[in-house]
Amino acid sequence: MSTESTEAIVIRQADFSETSRVVTLFTRDFGKIATIAKGARRLRGPFEGALDLLAQCQIVFIRKTSNSLDILTEARLTARFRPEARSLHSLYGGYYIAELLDGFTEPYDPHPNLFQEASLMLRMLEAGDRPLQAVLQFELTILREIGQMPVFDSCAACGRPVENNGSFSYWVSQSGLLCRNCQKEEFSHHQIPAGTVEVLRRLAEGDSETASRLAISPAQISSLRRITVPALIDILGRRPKMLRYLG
Amino acid sequence: MTNDADTHPYGAAVGTLIQRLSGLPGIGRKTAERLANHLVSCREPDALALAEAIRSVRTNVRRCRSCFNLTESEICRICSDPRRNRHQICIVEQPRDVVSLEAAGVFQGLYHVLGGRISPLEGVGPEDLTLDALVRRVRQDEVTEILMATNPTLEGDGTALFISNLLENEPVQITRLARGIASGSVLEFANREMLADAIRGRQNF
Repeated sequence: MSTESTEAIVIRQADFSETSRVVTLFTRDFGKIATIAKGARRLRGPFEGALDLLAQCQIVFIRKTSNSLDILTEARLTARFRPEARSLHSLYGGYYIAELLDGFTEPYDPHPNLFQEASLMLRMLEAGDRPLQAVLQFELTILREIGQMPVFDSCAACGRPVENNGSFSYWVSQSGLLCRNCQKEEFSHHQIPAGTVEVLRRLAEGDSETASRLAISPAQISSLRRITVPALIDILGRRPKMLRYLG
Repeated sequence: MTNDADTHPYGAAVGTLIQRLSGLPGIGRKTAERLANHLVSCREPDALALAEAIRSVRTNVRRCRSCFNLTESEICRICSDPRRNRHQICIVEQPRDVVSLEAAGVFQGLYHVLGGRISPLEGVGPEDLTLDALVRRVRQDEVTEILMATNPTLEGDGTALFISNLLENEPVQITRLARGIASGSVLEFANREMLADAIRGRQNF
Protein backbone atom coordinates (compact mmCIF):
# COMPACT_ATOMS: atom_id res chain seq x y z
CA MET A 1 0.00 0.00 0.00
CA SER A 2 1.25 3.48 -0.84
CA THR A 3 -0.13 6.95 -0.21
CA GLU A 4 -0.65 9.05 -3.33
CA SER A 5 -1.68 12.65 -3.90
CA THR A 6 -3.17 14.10 -7.08
CA GLU A 7 -5.85 16.31 -8.58
CA ALA A 8 -9.20 14.64 -9.37
CA ILE A 9 -12.71 15.09 -10.69
CA VAL A 10 -15.57 13.19 -9.01
CA ILE A 11 -17.31 11.23 -11.77
CA ARG A 12 -19.53 8.86 -9.80
CA GLN A 13 -20.56 8.21 -6.24
CA ALA A 14 -22.88 5.99 -4.26
CA ASP A 15 -23.72 5.87 -0.57
CA PHE A 16 -22.16 2.83 1.04
CA SER A 17 -23.23 2.89 4.69
CA GLU A 18 -24.57 5.40 7.19
CA THR A 19 -21.54 7.64 6.74
CA SER A 20 -19.36 6.24 3.95
CA ARG A 21 -19.48 6.61 0.21
CA VAL A 22 -17.93 4.81 -2.76
CA VAL A 23 -16.44 7.51 -4.97
CA THR A 24 -15.08 7.06 -8.49
CA LEU A 25 -12.62 9.75 -9.45
CA PHE A 26 -10.85 10.63 -12.67
CA THR A 27 -7.40 11.75 -11.60
CA ARG A 28 -4.71 13.66 -13.44
CA ASP A 29 -1.89 11.23 -12.59
CA PHE A 30 -3.54 7.82 -12.16
CA GLY A 31 -6.56 7.89 -14.45
CA LYS A 32 -9.79 6.45 -13.07
CA ILE A 33 -9.75 5.17 -9.48
CA ALA A 34 -12.51 3.71 -7.31
CA THR A 35 -12.24 4.60 -3.64
CA ILE A 36 -14.09 4.28 -0.39
CA ALA A 37 -14.43 7.55 1.50
CA LYS A 38 -15.17 6.74 5.11
CA GLY A 39 -17.16 9.45 6.83
CA ALA A 40 -17.84 11.28 3.55
CA ARG A 41 -21.52 11.75 4.40
CA ARG A 42 -20.71 13.59 7.61
CA LEU A 43 -20.64 17.38 7.43
CA ARG A 44 -17.42 17.58 9.42
CA GLY A 45 -14.53 15.39 8.45
CA PRO A 46 -11.61 15.12 6.07
CA PHE A 47 -13.78 15.81 3.01
CA GLU A 48 -15.93 18.81 4.06
CA GLY A 49 -18.45 18.40 1.27
CA ALA A 50 -15.74 18.26 -1.41
CA LEU A 51 -17.03 14.99 -2.87
CA ASP A 52 -19.96 16.29 -4.87
CA LEU A 53 -20.44 15.03 -8.44
CA LEU A 54 -18.06 16.81 -10.88
CA ALA A 55 -16.29 18.65 -8.08
CA GLN A 56 -12.60 19.09 -8.75
CA CYS A 57 -10.41 18.46 -5.73
CA GLN A 58 -6.91 17.77 -4.49
CA ILE A 59 -6.99 14.26 -3.02
CA VAL A 60 -4.85 11.94 -0.93
CA PHE A 61 -5.57 8.21 -1.17
CA ILE A 62 -4.08 4.91 -0.10
CA ARG A 63 -3.53 2.70 -3.09
CA LYS A 64 -4.42 -0.93 -2.44
CA THR A 65 -2.43 -3.70 -4.06
CA SER A 66 -5.35 -6.14 -4.00
CA ASN A 67 -8.59 -5.84 -5.95
CA SER A 68 -10.34 -3.97 -3.12
CA LEU A 69 -11.20 -0.29 -3.30
CA ASP A 70 -8.53 2.32 -2.65
CA ILE A 71 -9.07 4.37 0.50
CA LEU A 72 -9.65 8.08 0.10
CA THR A 73 -8.23 9.82 3.13
CA GLU A 74 -8.47 13.50 2.19
CA ALA A 75 -10.15 15.71 -0.40
CA ARG A 76 -9.81 19.47 -0.59
CA LEU A 77 -12.22 21.24 -2.92
CA THR A 78 -10.60 23.17 -5.76
CA ALA A 79 -13.67 24.00 -7.84
CA ARG A 80 -17.29 22.95 -7.61
CA PHE A 81 -19.22 22.52 -10.89
CA ARG A 82 -21.88 25.22 -10.83
CA PRO A 83 -23.64 26.03 -14.09
CA GLU A 84 -24.24 29.76 -13.65
CA ALA A 85 -26.79 30.24 -16.38
CA ARG A 86 -29.44 28.06 -14.67
CA SER A 87 -29.24 25.98 -17.81
CA LEU A 88 -30.23 22.33 -17.73
CA HIS A 89 -28.21 21.82 -20.93
CA SER A 90 -25.04 22.89 -19.12
CA LEU A 91 -25.87 20.63 -16.18
CA TYR A 92 -26.61 17.65 -18.41
CA GLY A 93 -23.45 18.40 -20.43
CA GLY A 94 -21.49 18.08 -17.18
CA TYR A 95 -23.17 14.77 -16.34
CA TYR A 96 -22.34 13.58 -19.87
CA ILE A 97 -18.65 14.39 -19.38
CA ALA A 98 -18.71 12.31 -16.17
CA GLU A 99 -20.40 9.44 -18.02
CA LEU A 100 -17.88 9.52 -20.88
CA LEU A 101 -14.91 9.64 -18.49
CA ASP A 102 -16.31 6.66 -16.60
CA GLY A 103 -17.22 4.67 -19.71
CA PHE A 104 -14.15 5.27 -21.87
CA THR A 105 -11.29 5.08 -19.39
CA GLU A 106 -9.75 2.16 -17.51
CA PRO A 107 -8.55 2.11 -13.89
CA TYR A 108 -4.97 3.30 -13.48
CA ASP A 109 -4.62 4.34 -17.11
CA PRO A 110 -3.60 8.00 -16.84
CA HIS A 111 -4.61 10.56 -19.49
CA PRO A 112 -3.37 13.91 -18.15
CA ASN A 113 -4.45 15.66 -21.34
CA LEU A 114 -7.97 14.26 -21.02
CA PHE A 115 -8.08 15.46 -17.42
CA GLN A 116 -7.04 18.94 -18.56
CA GLU A 117 -9.65 18.98 -21.33
CA ALA A 118 -12.41 17.72 -19.01
CA SER A 119 -11.60 20.46 -16.55
CA LEU A 120 -11.63 23.07 -19.32
CA MET A 121 -14.94 21.83 -20.75
CA LEU A 122 -16.58 21.90 -17.31
CA ARG A 123 -15.57 25.56 -16.98
CA MET A 124 -16.97 26.22 -20.49
CA LEU A 125 -20.24 24.53 -19.51
CA GLU A 126 -20.39 26.60 -16.33
CA ALA A 127 -20.18 29.76 -18.40
CA GLY A 128 -23.21 28.37 -20.20
CA ASP A 129 -22.92 30.18 -23.51
CA ARG A 130 -22.40 27.19 -25.87
CA PRO A 131 -23.06 23.96 -23.96
CA LEU A 132 -23.49 21.75 -27.02
CA GLN A 133 -20.21 22.98 -28.53
CA ALA A 134 -18.46 22.01 -25.28
CA VAL A 135 -20.12 18.60 -25.49
CA LEU A 136 -18.99 18.15 -29.11
CA GLN A 137 -15.43 19.21 -28.31
CA PHE A 138 -15.27 16.74 -25.44
CA GLU A 139 -16.62 13.92 -27.61
CA LEU A 140 -13.78 14.59 -30.07
CA THR A 141 -11.25 14.77 -27.22
CA ILE A 142 -12.35 11.37 -25.90
CA LEU A 143 -12.10 9.84 -29.40
CA ARG A 144 -8.61 11.30 -29.86
CA GLU A 145 -7.38 10.23 -26.41
CA ILE A 146 -8.49 6.62 -26.78
CA GLY A 147 -7.01 6.45 -30.27
CA GLN A 148 -10.32 6.08 -32.07
CA MET A 149 -10.56 9.41 -33.87
CA PRO A 150 -12.33 8.90 -37.22
CA VAL A 151 -10.40 9.70 -40.38
CA PHE A 152 -11.56 13.01 -41.87
CA ASP A 153 -9.03 13.68 -44.62
CA SER A 154 -9.62 10.75 -46.97
CA CYS A 155 -12.47 8.49 -48.02
CA ALA A 156 -12.62 5.36 -45.83
CA ALA A 157 -13.46 3.18 -48.87
CA CYS A 158 -11.35 4.44 -51.82
CA GLY A 159 -8.71 6.44 -49.91
CA ARG A 160 -9.06 9.52 -52.13
CA PRO A 161 -8.45 12.83 -50.33
CA VAL A 162 -11.57 14.61 -49.09
CA GLU A 163 -12.27 17.57 -51.35
CA ASN A 164 -13.58 20.95 -50.33
CA ASN A 165 -16.89 20.54 -52.10
CA GLY A 166 -19.67 18.00 -52.24
CA SER A 167 -20.99 16.07 -49.30
CA PHE A 168 -20.04 12.95 -47.39
CA SER A 169 -21.50 10.16 -45.29
CA TYR A 170 -20.01 8.75 -42.12
CA TRP A 171 -19.22 5.02 -42.12
CA VAL A 172 -19.45 3.97 -38.48
CA SER A 173 -17.81 0.53 -38.65
CA GLN A 174 -14.84 1.86 -40.66
CA SER A 175 -14.67 5.04 -38.58
CA GLY A 176 -14.32 7.32 -41.59
CA LEU A 177 -16.03 9.41 -44.24
CA LEU A 178 -17.36 8.09 -47.52
CA CYS A 179 -17.02 10.24 -50.64
CA ARG A 180 -19.93 10.63 -53.03
CA ASN A 181 -18.57 7.92 -55.38
CA CYS A 182 -18.38 5.32 -52.63
CA GLN A 183 -21.77 6.00 -51.02
CA LYS A 184 -24.17 3.15 -51.66
CA GLU A 185 -27.94 3.31 -51.51
CA GLU A 186 -28.01 0.90 -48.60
CA PHE A 187 -26.01 3.46 -46.61
CA SER A 188 -28.68 6.16 -46.63
CA HIS A 189 -26.75 8.17 -44.06
CA HIS A 190 -27.11 11.76 -43.03
CA GLN A 191 -25.23 13.90 -45.57
CA ILE A 192 -22.35 15.98 -44.23
CA PRO A 193 -21.39 19.04 -46.28
CA ALA A 194 -17.69 19.56 -47.05
CA GLY A 195 -17.68 22.85 -45.07
CA THR A 196 -18.82 20.98 -41.97
CA VAL A 197 -16.13 18.36 -42.50
CA GLU A 198 -13.58 21.17 -42.61
CA VAL A 199 -14.84 22.50 -39.26
CA LEU A 200 -14.64 18.98 -37.85
CA ARG A 201 -11.06 18.61 -39.02
CA ARG A 202 -10.06 21.90 -37.39
CA LEU A 203 -11.79 20.88 -34.16
CA ALA A 204 -10.15 17.47 -34.17
CA GLU A 205 -6.66 18.79 -34.82
CA GLY A 206 -6.65 21.92 -32.68
CA ASP A 207 -6.41 22.25 -28.91
CA SER A 208 -9.59 22.97 -26.97
CA GLU A 209 -8.80 26.61 -26.28
CA THR A 210 -8.45 27.27 -30.01
CA ALA A 211 -11.53 25.15 -30.71
CA SER A 212 -13.54 27.07 -28.10
CA ARG A 213 -12.93 30.26 -30.06
CA LEU A 214 -14.41 28.78 -33.25
CA ALA A 215 -17.94 29.97 -33.88
CA ILE A 216 -19.89 26.87 -34.88
CA SER A 217 -23.55 27.19 -35.78
CA PRO A 218 -26.15 25.02 -33.98
CA ALA A 219 -26.88 23.31 -37.32
CA GLN A 220 -23.20 22.45 -37.77
CA ILE A 221 -22.97 21.14 -34.20
CA SER A 222 -26.00 18.95 -34.80
CA SER A 223 -24.50 17.70 -38.06
CA LEU A 224 -21.09 17.01 -36.49
CA ARG A 225 -22.59 15.15 -33.55
CA ARG A 226 -24.16 12.75 -36.06
CA ILE A 227 -20.57 11.63 -36.59
CA THR A 228 -19.22 11.70 -33.04
CA VAL A 229 -22.21 10.11 -31.28
CA PRO A 230 -22.45 6.97 -33.49
CA ALA A 231 -18.67 6.60 -33.21
CA LEU A 232 -18.89 6.70 -29.41
CA ILE A 233 -21.85 4.31 -29.30
CA ASP A 234 -20.01 1.88 -31.58
CA ILE A 235 -16.95 1.81 -29.29
CA LEU A 236 -18.88 1.78 -26.01
CA GLY A 237 -21.29 -0.89 -27.20
CA ARG A 238 -24.29 0.95 -25.78
CA ARG A 239 -25.98 4.32 -25.94
CA PRO A 240 -24.76 6.73 -23.20
CA LYS A 241 -27.61 7.46 -20.77
CA MET A 242 -27.20 11.22 -21.01
CA LEU A 243 -27.91 11.36 -24.75
CA ARG A 244 -31.61 11.18 -23.95
CA TYR A 245 -31.28 14.45 -22.04
CA LEU A 246 -28.92 16.26 -24.41
CA GLY A 247 -30.84 15.55 -27.60
CA MET B 1 -20.58 -17.33 0.02
CA THR B 2 -21.78 -19.54 2.90
CA ASN B 3 -25.48 -19.83 3.53
CA ASP B 4 -26.13 -19.13 7.23
CA ALA B 5 -29.60 -20.64 7.05
CA ASP B 6 -28.19 -24.08 6.22
CA THR B 7 -24.91 -24.11 8.12
CA HIS B 8 -25.29 -22.10 11.33
CA PRO B 9 -24.50 -24.21 14.41
CA TYR B 10 -27.63 -22.95 16.25
CA GLY B 11 -29.82 -24.11 13.41
CA ALA B 12 -31.61 -22.72 10.37
CA ALA B 13 -33.85 -20.24 12.27
CA VAL B 14 -30.92 -18.29 13.75
CA GLY B 15 -29.03 -18.54 10.48
CA THR B 16 -31.95 -17.05 8.56
CA LEU B 17 -32.31 -14.26 11.12
CA ILE B 18 -28.61 -13.36 10.78
CA GLN B 19 -28.95 -13.33 7.00
CA ARG B 20 -32.01 -11.06 7.15
CA LEU B 21 -30.44 -8.67 9.65
CA SER B 22 -27.19 -8.36 7.72
CA GLY B 23 -29.23 -7.29 4.68
CA LEU B 24 -30.26 -4.10 6.50
CA PRO B 25 -28.38 -0.86 5.77
CA GLY B 26 -25.41 -0.22 8.07
CA ILE B 27 -25.45 -3.73 9.55
CA GLY B 28 -22.55 -6.02 8.83
CA ARG B 29 -22.28 -9.70 9.63
CA LYS B 30 -20.79 -9.27 13.12
CA THR B 31 -23.49 -6.81 14.17
CA ALA B 32 -26.15 -9.11 12.71
CA GLU B 33 -24.80 -11.97 14.82
CA ARG B 34 -24.83 -9.81 17.97
CA LEU B 35 -28.42 -8.72 17.30
CA ALA B 36 -29.51 -12.29 16.61
CA ASN B 37 -27.90 -13.50 19.83
CA HIS B 38 -29.67 -10.74 21.73
CA LEU B 39 -33.03 -11.64 20.20
CA VAL B 40 -32.52 -15.31 21.08
CA SER B 41 -31.62 -14.58 24.70
CA CYS B 42 -33.90 -11.60 25.55
CA ARG B 43 -37.42 -11.95 27.00
CA GLU B 44 -39.76 -13.54 24.51
CA PRO B 45 -42.38 -10.72 24.62
CA ASP B 46 -39.66 -8.16 23.77
CA ALA B 47 -38.54 -10.14 20.72
CA LEU B 48 -42.12 -10.69 19.57
CA ALA B 49 -42.93 -6.99 20.09
CA LEU B 50 -40.12 -6.16 17.66
CA ALA B 51 -41.50 -8.65 15.13
CA GLU B 52 -44.98 -7.15 15.55
CA ALA B 53 -43.62 -3.61 15.12
CA ILE B 54 -42.00 -4.60 11.83
CA ARG B 55 -45.18 -6.32 10.65
CA SER B 56 -47.30 -3.32 11.65
CA VAL B 57 -45.07 -0.87 9.81
CA ARG B 58 -45.19 -2.92 6.64
CA THR B 59 -48.96 -3.38 6.86
CA ASN B 60 -50.05 0.09 7.93
CA VAL B 61 -47.57 2.63 6.61
CA ARG B 62 -48.18 4.05 3.16
CA ARG B 63 -47.59 7.24 1.17
CA CYS B 64 -49.79 10.27 1.88
CA ARG B 65 -52.12 10.75 -1.09
CA SER B 66 -51.33 14.44 -1.18
CA CYS B 67 -47.66 14.96 -0.27
CA PHE B 68 -46.20 11.40 -0.49
CA ASN B 69 -44.83 11.54 3.05
CA LEU B 70 -45.11 8.32 5.05
CA THR B 71 -48.34 7.97 7.02
CA GLU B 72 -50.72 5.43 8.48
CA SER B 73 -53.82 7.10 7.01
CA GLU B 74 -54.81 8.28 3.54
CA ILE B 75 -53.70 11.83 4.32
CA CYS B 76 -50.75 12.47 6.63
CA ARG B 77 -50.88 14.35 9.94
CA ILE B 78 -49.24 17.46 8.44
CA CYS B 79 -51.53 17.69 5.39
CA SER B 80 -54.63 17.27 7.55
CA ASP B 81 -53.58 19.90 10.12
CA PRO B 82 -55.85 22.97 9.58
CA ARG B 83 -53.28 25.28 11.21
CA ARG B 84 -50.72 24.73 8.43
CA ASN B 85 -50.36 27.28 5.65
CA ARG B 86 -51.73 25.48 2.58
CA HIS B 87 -50.27 28.01 0.15
CA GLN B 88 -46.64 27.17 0.97
CA ILE B 89 -45.09 23.89 -0.14
CA CYS B 90 -41.63 22.76 0.85
CA ILE B 91 -40.12 20.24 -1.60
CA VAL B 92 -37.89 17.54 -0.17
CA GLU B 93 -36.24 14.43 -1.61
CA GLN B 94 -37.14 11.86 1.06
CA PRO B 95 -39.62 11.42 3.95
CA ARG B 96 -36.70 11.58 6.42
CA ASP B 97 -36.06 15.17 5.27
CA VAL B 98 -39.58 16.07 6.47
CA VAL B 99 -38.64 14.70 9.90
CA SER B 100 -35.50 16.87 9.99
CA LEU B 101 -37.32 20.03 8.91
CA GLU B 102 -40.21 19.42 11.32
CA ALA B 103 -37.68 19.06 14.15
CA ALA B 104 -36.55 22.62 13.38
CA GLY B 105 -40.14 23.71 14.12
CA VAL B 106 -40.03 26.80 11.91
CA PHE B 107 -41.80 25.88 8.67
CA GLN B 108 -45.59 26.07 8.95
CA GLY B 109 -46.56 25.13 5.40
CA LEU B 110 -47.03 21.73 3.77
CA TYR B 111 -44.49 19.39 2.20
CA HIS B 112 -44.08 17.52 -1.06
CA VAL B 113 -41.84 14.43 -1.06
CA LEU B 114 -40.28 13.78 -4.47
CA GLY B 115 -39.17 10.24 -3.69
CA GLY B 116 -35.56 10.90 -4.76
CA ARG B 117 -33.67 13.29 -7.00
CA ILE B 118 -33.09 13.44 -10.73
CA SER B 119 -29.94 11.41 -11.24
CA PRO B 120 -29.67 10.49 -14.94
CA LEU B 121 -26.36 8.68 -14.46
CA GLU B 122 -28.06 6.32 -12.00
CA GLY B 123 -31.06 5.94 -14.30
CA VAL B 124 -33.41 8.16 -12.25
CA GLY B 125 -35.30 10.56 -14.51
CA PRO B 126 -38.03 13.17 -13.85
CA GLU B 127 -40.69 10.54 -14.60
CA ASP B 128 -39.53 8.53 -11.55
CA LEU B 129 -40.39 11.37 -9.14
CA THR B 130 -43.77 12.72 -7.99
CA LEU B 131 -43.56 15.76 -10.27
CA ASP B 132 -46.94 15.38 -12.01
CA ALA B 133 -48.65 15.36 -8.61
CA LEU B 134 -46.67 18.45 -7.60
CA VAL B 135 -47.80 20.41 -10.66
CA ARG B 136 -51.41 19.36 -9.96
CA ARG B 137 -51.11 20.52 -6.35
CA VAL B 138 -49.67 23.89 -7.36
CA ARG B 139 -52.56 24.45 -9.77
CA GLN B 140 -55.40 23.14 -7.61
CA ASP B 141 -54.38 24.41 -4.17
CA GLU B 142 -53.54 28.02 -5.12
CA VAL B 143 -49.97 27.61 -3.93
CA THR B 144 -48.11 30.92 -3.66
CA GLU B 145 -44.65 29.77 -2.58
CA ILE B 146 -42.51 26.73 -3.35
CA LEU B 147 -39.55 26.30 -1.00
CA MET B 148 -36.87 24.07 -2.52
CA ALA B 149 -35.28 21.94 0.19
CA THR B 150 -33.51 19.40 -2.00
CA ASN B 151 -30.02 18.46 -0.82
CA PRO B 152 -27.35 21.10 -1.57
CA THR B 153 -25.52 18.83 -4.03
CA LEU B 154 -25.16 19.09 -7.81
CA GLU B 155 -27.98 16.60 -8.33
CA GLY B 156 -30.16 18.17 -5.62
CA ASP B 157 -29.67 21.62 -7.16
CA GLY B 158 -30.23 20.14 -10.63
CA THR B 159 -33.55 18.70 -9.48
CA ALA B 160 -34.54 22.08 -8.03
CA LEU B 161 -33.60 23.74 -11.33
CA PHE B 162 -35.69 21.24 -13.29
CA ILE B 163 -38.70 21.91 -11.03
CA SER B 164 -38.31 25.68 -11.25
CA ASN B 165 -38.27 25.38 -15.07
CA LEU B 166 -41.33 23.13 -14.89
CA LEU B 167 -43.23 25.70 -12.83
CA GLU B 168 -42.00 28.82 -14.61
CA ASN B 169 -45.42 29.59 -16.07
CA GLU B 170 -47.27 29.12 -12.79
CA PRO B 171 -47.99 32.18 -10.61
CA VAL B 172 -45.86 30.94 -7.75
CA GLN B 173 -42.79 32.33 -5.99
CA ILE B 174 -39.90 29.87 -5.91
CA THR B 175 -37.41 30.10 -3.04
CA ARG B 176 -34.72 27.76 -1.72
CA LEU B 177 -33.09 27.06 1.63
CA ALA B 178 -30.34 29.52 2.53
CA ARG B 179 -26.84 28.11 2.74
CA GLY B 180 -23.56 29.29 4.22
CA ILE B 181 -22.19 29.75 7.72
CA ALA B 182 -23.82 27.83 10.58
CA SER B 183 -25.10 29.87 13.53
CA GLY B 184 -22.73 29.70 16.49
CA SER B 185 -19.64 29.04 14.33
CA VAL B 186 -16.85 31.52 13.67
CA LEU B 187 -15.76 32.94 10.33
CA GLU B 188 -12.14 31.96 10.93
CA PHE B 189 -13.01 28.27 10.70
CA ALA B 190 -15.60 28.45 7.94
CA ASN B 191 -14.33 26.97 4.68
CA ARG B 192 -14.13 28.89 1.40
CA GLU B 193 -17.30 27.30 0.04
CA MET B 194 -19.40 28.21 3.08
CA LEU B 195 -18.19 31.81 2.99
CA ALA B 196 -18.86 32.11 -0.75
CA ASP B 197 -22.40 30.75 -0.25
CA ALA B 198 -23.00 33.11 2.65
CA ILE B 199 -21.86 36.15 0.65
CA ARG B 200 -23.96 35.15 -2.38
CA GLY B 201 -27.03 34.63 -0.19
CA ARG B 202 -26.63 37.75 1.97
CA GLN B 203 -29.80 39.43 3.24
CA ASN B 204 -30.93 42.93 4.13
CA PHE B 205 -30.15 43.70 7.79
